[in-house]
Amino acid sequence: MTGARRGGLAALALGLIAAALLHGRGGPPVFDGIVVPPEPYRWESPPPNLRAGNKPPLSGEATFPVANGQVPGGGVQTGDSQVIIFFGPGTFKAPTGAQSTKCTINPDPNPPAAPSGVDIRGNVYHINCGAQPGGAVVTAVTTFHLTLRVPPGAFNEIQYNDGNGWRALTTLRAPGGDPFASVNAPGFGEYAATAPTGAPGESFLTVLGRYAPFYGILAFVILFGIIAIVQEIRRRQRARPPPTKKRR
Amino acid sequence: MRVTVLVLGAALLRALLLPAGDLLSTAFFAACLLGIAWVERGPTTEPRWGRGRALVTGLMVGAVLLAPVVTGQLSARTLSDFWTWAAIAAVIAALEETAIRGALYRRWSEEAGPVAAIVAGAVVFALIHLPRYGLGAMPLDAAVGLALGGLRAVTGRVMPCAIAHTIADWGAWFWA
Repeated sequence: MTGARRGGLAALALGLIAAALLHGRGGPPVFDGIVVPPEPYRWESPPPNLRAGNKPPLSGEATFPVANGQVPGGGVQTGDSQVIIFFGPGTFKAPTGAQSTKCTINPDPNPPAAPSGVDIRGNVYHINCGAQPGGAVVTAVTTFHLTLRVPPGAFNEIQYNDGNGWRALTTLRAPGGDPFASVNAPGFGEYAATAPTGAPGESFLTVLGRYAPFYGILAFVILFGIIAIVQEIRRRQRARPPPTKKRR
Repeated sequence: MRVTVLVLGAALLRALLLPAGDLLSTAFFAACLLGIAWVERGPTTEPRWGRGRALVTGLMVGAVLLAPVVTGQLSARTLSDFWTWAAIAAVIAALEETAIRGALYRRWSEEAGPVAAIVAGAVVFALIHLPRYGLGAMPLDAAVGLALGGLRAVTGRVMPCAIAHTIADWGAWFWA
């Protein structure tokens, strides 16, 4: 075995062992800087055409310590990352005697009916925090940040229901066609993406804008590949020695 | 050294073009890598494995790179949507390998030896992914770059590196 191959074998073994030790739990990365498209939206009650292949939405929960009745800052997200909340220190207040607080995000299979003239788009999520031990009520003193994934189609705003009916919240949409929207959530309760009844779905330009980068890249790489192949064929043809004429 | 600067320059331009969108930045990066590999192409005198043996080795190394994550939860991404993304990932992976484990490896190997070529390739591999994944991903990218450089030195070919790299990328569709 040559020195180069011995060195190569050592680097290969070392690299593979190091990669195995360094791999995160979140899944394999892409080593090309290419974005992996998001998973399909997980519906609690999928439309008939999406029923096949739909995976149920996942819940999320996290437990935080309580110090002097206050919960330190933190975040909770569902297992499928369709809902994410962040809150700062002192946002949630726990009752006296609470040692910790458990925050949960659950898709609601039986949500309150949508207000008239509005359609609920996608899942309704119930967000709550309870003190432990005992499960006493934890209150939200100030707003916290909530990001909600929105299914494809019409979308206008996120609405909130604290048990006294739905109300619209000032909603910020993620740029670049990302299917996420966020609000300053005022408290615990139900949250849902909504759109006016009968609102048209995405326009042709919106859909085009979403797919153009993907298929544009594909078109470019195919074009580059064709150019490379043509150039290689030409190079080989030039490098080939001309046929010698036989004497008769 | 020139190839190293060219590859890093291509990655830097890609990062600068990122605000203009994935289409432009990735297409530009691909064009740069293709250009570098083309301009820097040259004959190699090192011994090479046969195609079949190199192909199988590339598949095996790709499988080993994926092994730590295949027990994780499967994503809900559909197989029908996979192929277009997979084609893009395969082409970009092949171009990266052609530039780094091809042109860059050959130049460094000629000037400073194969071990320096493997290390330089691993460092460049980690650096070009820095803008997208951040500092946290650098150790893993360097480790994978080291393994792919080793594979290049052992087999004498770029093809198994491109195959292993592509398989490692494709795993992200199913387990990320």
